[in-house]
Amino acid sequence: MKQLRLLSACALFLGISAAQAQQVSYQEYDLPNGLHVILHQDNGAPVVTTSVMYHVGGKDRTQGRTGFAHFFEHLLFEGTKNIERGTWMKLVSSRGGNNNANTSQDRTYYYEVFPSNQLEFGLWMESERMLHPVIDQIGVDTQNEVVKEEKRLRMDNSPYGQILQVVGENLFKVHPYKDPNIGYMEDLDAATLEEFIAYKEKYYGPNNAVLVVAGDIDIDKTKSMIEQYFGPVPTGQNVVRNFPVEEPITEEVRAKAYDPNIQIPATIVAYRTPGFASREAYVLDMISTYLSDGKTSKLYKKMVDEQKQALQIGAFNLGQEDYGMYLIFGLPVGENTLETLNTEIEEEIAAVRNELIADKDFQKIQNKFENDFVNANSSVEGIAGSLATYYMLYGDTSLINKQIDIYRSITREEIQQVAQQYLQPNQRVVIDYLPQSAKQ
Amino acid sequence: MRKHLILSLAFLFLGATSIATAQINRSEQPQAGPIPSIQLEDPQTFTLKNGLTVMLVENHKLPRVSVRLILDNPPVLEGDKAGVSSLFSAMMGNGTTNLSKDDFNEEVDFMGASINFGATSASASGLSKYFDRLVTLMADAVKNPLLTQTEFEKEQEKIITGIKSEEKDVKAIARRLENAVAYGTDHPNGEFVTETTVKNTSLADVTSFYKTQFVPNNGYLIVIGDIDVAAAKKTISKQFSDWKKSAAAPSNWKKPAASGSTAIHFVDMPNAVQSEVSVQNLVDLPMKSPDYLSALLANNILGGSSSARLFMNLREDKAFTYGSYSSLGSSKYTPARFRAYAAVRNAVTDSAAVELLSEIDRMASEPVSEDELAMAKAEYVGNFVMALENPATVANYAFRIASEGLPKDFYKTYLSRINSVTPEEVQAAARKYFTADKAQVVVAGKGRDVLPTLEKMTFKGQALPVNYYTPMAQKAEKPNYDAAIPEGLSADKVIADYIEAVGGRALLESVSSLRLLAEGTVQGMTINVEITRTQGQQFKQKMSLMGNVMSEQVFNGESGYVSMQGQKIPMQDKDIVQVRQEAMPFAELGMKGATLEGVEDVNGQKAYKVKWSANKWAYYSVDNGLKLKEVTAVDAGGQTMESAIEFGDYEIFQGILMPFTLKQQVGPQAIDLKIKEVYLNEALTPASFQ
Repeated sequence: MKQLRLLSACALFLGISAAQAQQVSYQEYDLPNGLHVILHQDNGAPVVTTSVMYHVGGKDRTQGRTGFAHFFEHLLFEGTKNIERGTWMKLVSSRGGNNNANTSQDRTYYYEVFPSNQLEFGLWMESERMLHPVIDQIGVDTQNEVVKEEKRLRMDNSPYGQILQVVGENLFKVHPYKDPNIGYMEDLDAATLEEFIAYKEKYYGPNNAVLVVAGDIDIDKTKSMIEQYFGPVPTGQNVVRNFPVEEPITEEVRAKAYDPNIQIPATIVAYRTPGFASREAYVLDMISTYLSDGKTSKLYKKMVDEQKQALQIGAFNLGQEDYGMYLIFGLPVGENTLETLNTEIEEEIAAVRNELIADKDFQKIQNKFENDFVNANSSVEGIAGSLATYYMLYGDTSLINKQIDIYRSITREEIQQVAQQYLQPNQRVVIDYLPQSAKQ
Repeated sequence: MRKHLILSLAFLFLGATSIATAQINRSEQPQAGPIPSIQLEDPQTFTLKNGLTVMLVENHKLPRVSVRLILDNPPVLEGDKAGVSSLFSAMMGNGTTNLSKDDFNEEVDFMGASINFGATSASASGLSKYFDRLVTLMADAVKNPLLTQTEFEKEQEKIITGIKSEEKDVKAIARRLENAVAYGTDHPNGEFVTETTVKNTSLADVTSFYKTQFVPNNGYLIVIGDIDVAAAKKTISKQFSDWKKSAAAPSNWKKPAASGSTAIHFVDMPNAVQSEVSVQNLVDLPMKSPDYLSALLANNILGGSSSARLFMNLREDKAFTYGSYSSLGSSKYTPARFRAYAAVRNAVTDSAAVELLSEIDRMASEPVSEDELAMAKAEYVGNFVMALENPATVANYAFRIASEGLPKDFYKTYLSRINSVTPEEVQAAARKYFTADKAQVVVAGKGRDVLPTLEKMTFKGQALPVNYYTPMAQKAEKPNYDAAIPEGLSADKVIADYIEAVGGRALLESVSSLRLLAEGTVQGMTINVEITRTQGQQFKQKMSLMGNVMSEQVFNGESGYVSMQGQKIPMQDKDIVQVRQEAMPFAELGMKGATLEGVEDVNGQKAYKVKWSANKWAYYSVDNGLKLKEVTAVDAGGQTMESAIEFGDYEIFQGILMPFTLKQQVGPQAIDLKIKEVYLNEALTPASFQ
């Protein structure tokens, strides 16, 4: 008995030290031109990340110009007033670094990772990009083809590559999330140079961006360099968003889609959910872990392991700023039909709606989130991305340390209540994702 | 005023603390700071009696730990039982002879941890507070796996379904053919799993694989994270010392034959919208080769990154692809593969292959510039420095020194050796390891589109022979797209079959008129189309956008007009010929003189291509006779453009099988229309067509 108590005291102590080891320290402030700056110092390894996130994504576009934000991201590698066309990547390599960018429906993120003696160089590059990028017809023509190849590679030539597009167009009717982030071919072809220049003016001001510098830095020196490189960038327009609001889905939607690159059909059961900063989104993260993360999760164990109906089953809570997409994806094994999978999926979701999940399962998912939280901030590059995201899209930088508290505070009752509110059969979209050859 | 002064003083002060106080000159690239000092520490290493080498790296940054097991055995040929290693790895980590599958998995999941197995590897990771338990479970799973018939059958079925799921995957089939062509299918790297070989395999084969391959003799166990080295040593020794020693089975395969002169190896993928193009050859390049670093730099300059030659040429200059790269493998057991590759749109397949070959050739024939070499070196130096952030790096280095037989100071001298490589050494390595003259050009793509140019492709004035393969990497005949028409089949028969399939001649002839109301969206706007056709060859098509009529075509059987934005243009004679053809409710009923041109693929379905007239074709499904598509060649300002309508979602309406979706394609524009309403046999007056 005594030994047991000793053990639990010990575990308690471990728990506290674990939480401390997690703390990510940072400073944040605004430049007079509106650029928000976040600094994170970690001198453990000679590595530094310089990154800029702009609050502009696929959803920021006019009718007939889908894919605009992503296309624009490609253009911002073409060169600047002081960086010649075609040399951006070479410059980064010549300083021993690497770089990339990515665009979601909500934001565009550019970053470089360098040995830490190249910090100033990284700041110079990102400030060049913000201050005076060169956007011209040659770039538009080249990148139009490149983006179309990217679309072919990732979607059109890729098995199950069109799932997100199909889910988007069925979950949304009026909000721009209805269209694919990469855009339609005809819209990509129709985009003009003038439109790109106007887009830069509208969305690429420092006041619509956050700069993160993370890693092996000296805070004072870094602040001074940031002032020098980013201070002169003029403030941009004030970005106002006014997207149409979706009516709730009250009747089940059935849809079919065809993919020439597949042989095994898939079923997708999708629900429209609140944006990722909402508390409900965190609860839905826990529900998807409960349903399909790990060999003993409900759907996996039942459908893949015991009843052998599915080759794969997964629940994903795809977070976005305005609305999320919660989807369950399954591939049948052998002769099992999609309808069988749908029935089995609904049975487990109904269980979450109708009763509290077991205490042990609840503890298990809490432990999983604890584990994920420890792993979340393991690289400077990852920390930089998280700091930018929490500030810009969640409106609270401190979530980098506190997000785990939200998960910890979620109760079994809340899980049931969120499932009842958002995961009802009449709110779902069921998609038969079929091989093209099944089309009559 | 005073406030102002203080403020600017503050700015001054801030400026004074920085290194570069003066104004910056943006047109000059900032100089690098002093090179950061780096330290390479060695992991704690010891070897158990059974041969297992253990490496420990203590790192307390995060309260977590990872354990990795690598069994460094030569690869084995699985032959007619290919798949046994995949089955084995899928079955591992699902319980032990001491702990049921459910209990094992439940415990791992409850810790929020993971334990995974490969055919000759395993890994575990989790919070460090669970270290002892995690190692105990992993060791139990390694030493006493639960391999049951039930699990075996389940994994067998999953693998077979998985194989099916890849049948149309262009990338997967390209990779399969590349390996098969490079190594031959009688080599571990060239063979692949099929439904037959999986069905050939039994539980006994899996158990035997475990006994002969999953042995500790050449094993490495690497532990990284928040551990106490002494305690971890104790735990590992306790759990792994009784893993029984046994020699791994010897190699059962021969070295692959060298490739002859450059040839194309092609597999037809009718669903491809991009071709996967690879230029490859085998290399003998263990890491201990004296020119290993020169070869790495050569590959880096050619295609190692998004600033390398392939990317700059094929993407940034020519816009053929989203990305083009090269890779250079290394293995101490078998020849490895050098490969330069890109996924490109169908139309530029041959051009991309030529560019890949030319860039490879240029590496061998010209020395690289000092600038390029300096950049490649900088990249290696940078990556080397930055990799130190990851605590696994020092363990990886120690593992490679031990397993590849490298000098002890291989990584300590790495940077200085990289920096001393000369352009001549890079060229010599390129000559030795990249062979554009004896290369294999492997292409997976849509043959109908890409073969005509690919077959004519030349490199350095030489035509390249083309070998054809099935998706299962079997040699095949050249695809003949015209020969697929069955003996004795004619256009009239295809048309008659279509008429039969949709409801029969009598029923179709009884339809005096057909009116369709269709709806779709174009760039977010609603488009409505109304089409009317009668047996008297009257025709009317009205198109509205957001409720406003945009265009109208009206034909009364003799004459007609097109009206667009208020302008009426009378139909010319050639328009009348065209419209007559389409004015009947079912154009096929009166069809004469049609010809059967071949069998083509329409969205993954085989279809008979029937030429209706000089500028119109229709496609009928080989499987069910239904019409899948109509294509019209339109003259647009001297250029011929194709406009196509695809028919889908056939449903029975008053006994007739009719398409309820129409997909209209003109150039890059596609409009999906859904039929909302259908009216048959309405009483229509001639006035409707005036």
